[in-house]
Amino acid sequence: MDKTTRILTVDDSASMRALLNHALTSQGFDVAQAEDGEVALEWLALNEVDVVITDINMPRLDGFGLIERLRQGSRHRDRPILVLTTESSEEKKARARSAGATGWIVKPFDPEKLVAAVRRVAH
Amino acid sequence: MSYESPPPVSAITRINILQGQARVSAGPRVEFSTVLGSCVATCLFDPEVEVGGMNHFLLAEPGASVAAADIDEHYGVYLMEVLINEMLAHGAAKQRLRAHLYGGANLNSHFARIGTANGEFARQFLARERIAIVREDLGGTQARRVDFRPARGQVRCRIVPETMAPDERLDTRPARATGDVELF
Repeated sequence: MDKTTRILTVDDSASMRALLNHALTSQGFDVAQAEDGEVALEWLALNEVDVVITDINMPRLDGFGLIERLRQGSRHRDRPILVLTTESSEEKKARARSAGATGWIVKPFDPEKLVAAVRRVAH
Repeated sequence: MSYESPPPVSAITRINILQGQARVSAGPRVEFSTVLGSCVATCLFDPEVEVGGMNHFLLAEPGASVAAADIDEHYGVYLMEVLINEMLAHGAAKQRLRAHLYGGANLNSHFARIGTANGEFARQFLARERIAIVREDLGGTQARRVDFRPARGQVRCRIVPETMAPDERLDTRPARATGDVELF
């Protein structure tokens, strides 16, 4: 009855991807990973996902660009998108919010807080 | 005071990099300095744009359990990412970055080998990110002082008396770095 929540994490750091993968799979989530916004878009074109967690600073297509592209189409208009970033400026947070992000999480992340946030926004 | 004469050595602006900090500069007169016990400092340099940066981190406190599970990688990954992002913001390119690693000493044999764990973490992180290590001076039992000219990528690393090493603490992390969540 309870379908496994599938999460796509988008981060250019291999070490951060490993930390996210461990934190989320250990809590029973199904995790897919992309290394930048472009790879995320390619993956999302072919796969279904419940929640996206994205970094901001990435090559090729950054987190702002990824959120904007996802919100342009109808398929991901209501998809929960959590930003996970080292950035702490109010200006960047406001930009993520206006681009359509669902939430803002500051690194280094606390695995428990991250999982709680994912559970709250997943639907 | 003459403004014509070449700048004296004292014109060097020395910036101390404390535990938990990451700084980047392209300033030709800037020198980053730090003293390390079991902490590790990473120096990154991009020779093409002549910009460099240094961080200084501790993953677990001396005296803590030796268990690998007690090594908190989140903080090390965070400080590495802050350093790399700041380098990129100064025009550096990730594939051009060259790294130096210093520190990671096991100052007191009664403590767990935290210095070794810090150094191993840094090596693994750089390998995963495909950043080449061009020089490292890790491990041993003595404190080190590292002086780094970020605009030239020049490093001097010396052994110093243990009494010069700062107290290494886990609780000197930035207050904002708490993984706080804000839903819009």
